[in-house]
Amino acid sequence: MKSASTLAAAILAGSVALPAAAVSQELVLGAFGGSFADNVQACYIEPFEAETGASVLVKPASSSQHAAAVRATAGSSDMDVVFADDAFAVQLMNEDLIETLDRSKLINAGEIVDGAWGAGDAYVAAMVGATAIVYNPDKVTEPPTSWADLFDEKYAGRIAIGDISGTTGWQFLAAVNAMEGGDLDNIDPGIAKIEPLAKSAVLLYTQADQVVSLFERDEIDIAVWYPDRAGVAAQKGLPLAVAYPSEGGVAIRPTISIPKGTENVDLAHKFIDTVLDAENQKCFSERQFIGPVNRNVELSDEVAAIVPSGETVENLMFLDPAVMSQKLPDWTRRWQREVLR
Amino acid sequence: MNSARTGLLLIAPLAIVLVGAFLVSVLLLAPTSFREYLPGTGIVPDSWTLENYLRIATDDFYREVVWRTLALGLGVTAACLMLGYPVAYLIVRGDPRWRLPLTLLVIFPLMLNLVVRSFGWIALLTNRGLVNNLLMSLGIIDEPLKLMFNLTGVMIGMVHIYLPFMVLMLVAALQNVPRDVEAAAATLGSGRMHVFTAVTLPLTAPGIIAGSILVFVLSISALVTPRMLGGPTYQVMATLIYDEYMQLLDWSSGSALSFTLVAIAVAIIWLSNRAAKRWAGLA
Repeated sequence: MKSASTLAAAILAGSVALPAAAVSQELVLGAFGGSFADNVQACYIEPFEAETGASVLVKPASSSQHAAAVRATAGSSDMDVVFADDAFAVQLMNEDLIETLDRSKLINAGEIVDGAWGAGDAYVAAMVGATAIVYNPDKVTEPPTSWADLFDEKYAGRIAIGDISGTTGWQFLAAVNAMEGGDLDNIDPGIAKIEPLAKSAVLLYTQADQVVSLFERDEIDIAVWYPDRAGVAAQKGLPLAVAYPSEGGVAIRPTISIPKGTENVDLAHKFIDTVLDAENQKCFSERQFIGPVNRNVELSDEVAAIVPSGETVENLMFLDPAVMSQKLPDWTRRWQREVLR
Repeated sequence: MNSARTGLLLIAPLAIVLVGAFLVSVLLLAPTSFREYLPGTGIVPDSWTLENYLRIATDDFYREVVWRTLALGLGVTAACLMLGYPVAYLIVRGDPRWRLPLTLLVIFPLMLNLVVRSFGWIALLTNRGLVNNLLMSLGIIDEPLKLMFNLTGVMIGMVHIYLPFMVLMLVAALQNVPRDVEAAAATLGSGRMHVFTAVTLPLTAPGIIAGSILVFVLSISALVTPRMLGGPTYQVMATLIYDEYMQLLDWSSGSALSFTLVAIAVAIIWLSNRAAKRWAGLA
């Protein structure tokens, strides 16, 4: 398998060698797809290319797919920089598959909030998102204030929640579980509470964008979803509002890290530095409706109302990614057996 | 001796591709299926355990998924056979002018990407999809029918996708049935129905078996259609393997499930080959 992947990497390297030779260096970036990739292109890649003269090739996939790819090519990754949610970054760190970040190569390191750095600087969070409640204000006249509101009879058959394969799925489970008196070692209360809701939900979505069409076709009034996706959809004309429950939304920290085996360690650091730059962070936050990690970013009021900022950030539930990466397989198996059946 | 060497040379190119690209990579996966996996840490090197296989046999969730996969495969195969046989018969025995358009109709879906075809079915089958909207505006139903994320949706999608394979196999088999044999049976006083059941059907048995094996094996290993039309709630072995690998990163458990699926497929091919020989022998 190792030799096969080396061969594959060699073929890949060979196939990009020609254009790379023409335009100096090429950086391969593992990012998420959809509007995320568009905004990474506009706010991070364009300034990076303009400054360094290098070109960036984007490989779109989800956190788990990126993590699987880095493991499969262990030590000789075809990616130079990779985005992944923090639980997956911790997994890669524990498997010794990512480089330690060198803060001395990151000019903007001092402006980054302390909570963004992974243990031993293995990775750095590039933004702060959340799992929260998104609703159609035309239909839901009284804004929800608690996770408990979602279990109200009036939303039966008009609600969508995420499957556990997506971030909102397990985060909602964690939030409801905490509300019901459980903890990370005992999710019985959460499973018992969610099971009937999952049965009556219009859809247990596996891809975030499925929710857009549910709102578009008026199949749902309310969903457990990402404020950033809601912000983008609202900008395109969908009537959507975001409510952070009083118990707190759940924080999502997409991280950025450097897989071991890249020959472009310096260039990769340069890219991460571009991502952490205050101006670029502001650009990305305002387009993607996601919270910045750079202290010096000032957001517009429209964006600040949607992204986790100020009080909502204080109130967010931060789940330890090291614990979550151990718990998730068990949670998933229980979800498959006790919620979906 | 000489003919044996010619035979060997003839299958050599395919054998090299199969051994190199398939068998070797599958065998490389075998050790992984006996390794222990620790969430958060990864695969434990040099560990050895049968746990991953035992779990498939003892955990009732895995057992349910295995049975569901096999039942789905059988269902899709039976439906393809029932729907495909008349079409194949019409192509071979019907008006020759219809042969080309019918064949094209059968092959046409194969020219579209699997994902595109599945999306097409989603547009038709969702709660506010074409089918439900039509039925509701005609006043036939009040509540949308649940056509997706269950057996119905996956069956519809899979039968559509695998029907062409069945029809093409049956066309080939029907073309090999000499019309003289059927004429002889008719001359000797057989009715049309009897000619079909006593002569045509047994003579096409190899085609039926080959088509059924093909559709069955493709069905039980299908990933895209069950994922898109079955959603997270309707799990089959292929989607479970995908989840173990890509979502839980538990490659050990995923490999064990993969080997189980391969073993089931091989056993079924072997059994049905034996059955086919017997059926053809009796005919």
